Order: sequence, then C-alpha cells, then structure tokens
Amino acid sequence: MLTYIARRLLFLPIVLIGVTLLVFVAMSFLSPYQLVSSYIKSPEELKNQSLDDLVRKYGLNQPAHLRYISWMKKLLRGDLGYSVSANMRVTEAIAKRFPATIELALFSIIPVVLGGIWLGTISAKHYNRPLDHISRTFAIIGWSLPDFVFGLIMLMIFYGVLGWFPPGRLSMWADTIVLTGDFIRYTGMNTVDSLLNGRLDIFWDAIRHLVAPIITLAYLWWAFLLRITRSSMLEVMNKDYVRTARAKGLTEKIVVNRHVRRNAMIPVATVSGSMVLGLLGGVVIVETVFDYKGIGLLTATGAQQLDYTLILGTTLFYGLLLVATNLVVDVLYAVIDPRVRLE
Amino acid sequence: MVMKKLLRNPLSMTGLIILLGFILIALFAPYIAPTQESHKSDPYRVPRFGWGTVPAPPSKEHLMGLTQGKYDIFYGIIWGTRTAFKVGLMVTGLSCLIGVVIGSVSAYIGGKFDEIVMRFVDIFMSFPFLIAAIVITAVLGRGLDKVIIALVLFRWTGYARLIRGNVLQVKQDEYIMAARAGGVAHPKILMRHILPNTIFPVLIQASMNIGSIVVTASTLSFLGLGAPEGYADWGQMISFARNWVLGTPNNPLEYWYTVVWPGVAIVLFVLSWNLIGDAFRDIMDPRIQG
Repeated sequence: MLTYIARRLLFLPIVLIGVTLLVFVAMSFLSPYQLVSSYIKSPEELKNQSLDDLVRKYGLNQPAHLRYISWMKKLLRGDLGYSVSANMRVTEAIAKRFPATIELALFSIIPVVLGGIWLGTISAKHYNRPLDHISRTFAIIGWSLPDFVFGLIMLMIFYGVLGWFPPGRLSMWADTIVLTGDFIRYTGMNTVDSLLNGRLDIFWDAIRHLVAPIITLAYLWWAFLLRITRSSMLEVMNKDYVRTARAKGLTEKIVVNRHVRRNAMIPVATVSGSMVLGLLGGVVIVETVFDYKGIGLLTATGAQQLDYTLILGTTLFYGLLLVATNLVVDVLYAVIDPRVRLE
Repeated sequence: MVMKKLLRNPLSMTGLIILLGFILIALFAPYIAPTQESHKSDPYRVPRFGWGTVPAPPSKEHLMGLTQGKYDIFYGIIWGTRTAFKVGLMVTGLSCLIGVVIGSVSAYIGGKFDEIVMRFVDIFMSFPFLIAAIVITAVLGRGLDKVIIALVLFRWTGYARLIRGNVLQVKQDEYIMAARAGGVAHPKILMRHILPNTIFPVLIQASMNIGSIVVTASTLSFLGLGAPEGYADWGQMISFARNWVLGTPNNPLEYWYTVVWPGVAIVLFVLSWNLIGDAFRDIMDPRIQG
C-alpha cells in the first residue's frame, strides 16, 4: 500500500508541471499588455509606470522559456497576480471565496453518493419491474436536463413562487450580523461558524440558502451514479459466487448488501474521479445561477469581464485541487480493490 | 440487426422520433420561421420587435413571446436547432478525427512514444472540461467558432484513449502479424487492417456524445462566453431569461416563457440522444441482459 502511494506521489510533480504548462500556453495567446496585471502586486504600480516599462520590468517581452521560468518562480512564491475585477490579489480572492465552495461541496457530496448508490441498488434489485423503470426514467431525464435550466426553474418555483429557498449565501439581516466584530469567522463556512458562535437562526438561514444549490448539483450525479451502480450490480448478480451465496440459503438482504453491492462498488469508485471533475464544473454554473459567492462565481465573473489574471489564477487553483483529490480517490480505490495495488 | 432492436424498444423509438423532428426543423428552418427581407444576409440573427428590454408574452404574431431585448423566442429556437446541430457535429467530428489519428498511431507505434502521448492525454483530461472551455473561450474571444475550438481541444483525448485501447488489443492478432510478415507498409496496415476493426465503438460513442456537447456549448453561452448577442442559440436565450425568472410580486411566473421554451428545446434535444444512446448501450452490452 505504501509503495503504491509513493508511486502516485512521484507522478504528482509531473502532472503539476503539465498543468502549469497548459495554462502557460493559454497565456501565450494574450499580448504582454494583457498579461501585465498577472504580474503586478497592487494597482499602485500601474499609476507610476507606463505599460511598456512594466512589460520590460517583468520580462514579458522575453522568449517563452525564460518567461515560463520566471512565471513558475512567481507561482512557487504563491503569487498569482492582481485581479482587476475582484479588486484584490487573486490569492486573497481565492482564500476569501473558497470556504463557501467547500461548504457547498461538502454538503452535496454525501447526498450525491448515498442517494445515487441507493437508487442504483433499488433499480437493480427490481430489475425490469416498475420501480426499475421509474428510476431509470428519472435517471435519463435527469441526465438530459442541463443544470442551468434546472437551477433557473428551481429559482422560479422555490424562490419566486414559494419563497422558500432564496439565492445568495445569507439573508440581508444575517449578513449584517456576520460582518460585525462579535461574530467570529473560524472557517468562513457559514453553517459551521454560526454553530460555533451559537447562532442557530443564522445556521438555519445558511441552510435555507444551501438547499437549492445542493439539489441542483446533486440530481445530475444521482442520475449518473444510478446508471453505473445499476449496471454493475446487475453484472455482479450473475456471478457464480452470488449464486453460491443464494444456494447457501442466505437472505436476499445479505446477498445484496454483502456479496453484490461490495463488489459492484468497484466501477463506481473508478468514476468518482471524473465525478469530482464534473462537480467542479457544476459548481461554476450552480454558483452563477444562485448568486452563491464561491470560487465558481469568481471564475465566471472573471471570464465575463475578461479578467485574465483571475481566470488563469483560479484555473491553476482548480488544477492543484484536482491533483490532490485524484490522489485521494486513487488511494481510496486501492483500499476498495486490492488488485489495483499489485499492478 | 441493431436498427431493428432500436425500433422495437419504445424508449429508443421515442428518441429517434424526437431526433427526426429536430432534423426536420433544422432542414426546414427557413420555411418554419421565415427570415425578414431586411435580414436575409444573416438568417442566424434573431429579429427584434420593438424597443426596451422587458419580455413580451406569447401572442398571435410571436407564438412563444419575446425575450429580453424583444428578441423573438420562436425564431431563436427554430434557427437555434441549426446552431445546435452545427456545434454538435463539428465538435464531435473534429475531436473524433484528431483523437482517432493520435490514439491509433500512438498505440501502433507503442513503447516510449505511446507512454509520452498518453501522459500528455492524462494532463488534458485532468482538467474539468467546462473550466478548460471557459479559459480557452475567454482567451480566444467570443464567437461560435471559438467555442468549437475550445470544445475540440479538450474532447479529442477521450476518443484517443478509447481507440488506443482497441488498437492495442487488435495489434497482437494473427492477421496483423500476417500482414506485417507479408511486408505491408505500416500506414497501410493501420488504415486497412486495424482501423476498420477498431473504429466503430469509437464512432458510436462519439455520436452519442453530441447531446452533451450541445449542453456544454449552451452552458458557455449561458455564462456569456458563447455566440455574440442576438445569435440564434438556445443557451443564450436561457441566459436572457436569467434576469426574468423571478417575475413580478403579483405574478411570480409572469415571464415563464423566457425560460420554459428554450429549456424545453435543449432538454428534448439532449433527451433524444440519451434515449438512443442508452438503448445502444444495452444492445451492445449483452452482459447486463441477465
């Protein structure tokens, strides 16, 4: 197990260099003048010097390999440049917005995984019976419904008509309390902080704002997981050892839960990596639709306002995040399926 | 054989009918939603009726109403069908071509070369598709062609991986060995002997992805990174609707038509591809018919 993790870790720097190269190539489509803001530390610098001076100062007119090296040095220092649209340094903007996205992701992943696997199990257990047809129809419709359409309809019904789940992260009154000095921000996650501060009303308000984004993020992946769990369970159900288990006289419940589902989880674990990728993309849309001020909305507004520094900075951050989560997924995968380690 | 099964399954049948409907709409767009004389040179521009931004409800002249900016929804949806097919087919075709060439050559040559190419593919695949597309369109600028480039850039890798696996399997077969021993040139072996035996699963997979490509393209439009304003495009119509989903205090559903019609168009389009794709998967994979 340890050698497996070590091997994965060795591969990590290569992927990271690849990710930076990719972003760097995207950057080279831009003129040096458009890139200046990726290099400056504060807008003050723009006032005192001409753009040409700045281009020369940061070596933006140098050949590509030299630019890449100096850019990498800057990245290693944790400097992603200054964002004009957010009016602060990119690292600062990410640090400020990231807890909100983490909060959204944490609250979504559990219902996504549990719900999807549960639906898939039901569907497989009732193969070709009404329950199977209902859940498959749900899956195929869910899979065909783009999240931005679904999100807008959620907003229309649950906020416009019913007034239950408002957009944003907090209501106005709660926001003012959170911004005062008495309310201590431990994590930046509203639900956790409100509990730590003993404010149940704010906790409830934060939850109310989270429900619609969570459902919008989750339904698509329910459909996805349902499909995979179902087909892999059906495959395992035909295996000899399942027949043996049945022949032994085990109850159906034990056969399904112990013998079938465990083995059927392997393909599910395989796709969890691509699920993380998809969820990160989904976060951009969901945060835009619900005006939820996380890192996805930051990227989207950066792209709309052509704030290259911000887009490239957040993209690098996503890259880093993905490499980390993929590592975790791989290790979990090796835990579930011992054969992987021996490869 | 496959076609017969597709036609017998009620789900895939529904999919085929919807898809056929969209093909007909795309073909006969100029007759269903005629372009005004003044716009003849650019039929993809959605006509506007009146000034101001507030949407107008469906009426006799405008079957589905006018969306933000008084753009005609019906016209946008009909001509948007052409846009959807254009984006879907172009992206799928181009990325499939690139993927098949790179993937099969890499697998055929094998060894170190294959290893390097596959690591390269890994890096491309380690980015979330949507975010990569956002970065590329933001850097290249707005426009449908840029969207197509961005999607192709991050789509070919999947096909490259798929065909590589197939080629690696076939490569060891005896008839390939025989061709080699007979002194057939490498390009010819690849083109004549290997590809015909490996390409079909890739083509099927690719055509089933058209629906999801159209969703991603619409998403970019929705985020304001797709086609220029006023271009017939479903995603853009929905992004117009964003400002109107809440309606007025008296009637929260006042502007329902701005989101519902383009939403229905996208959902039906994607649904038709998914219904066919799902049936295909069941037919091709006899293991799960137990």
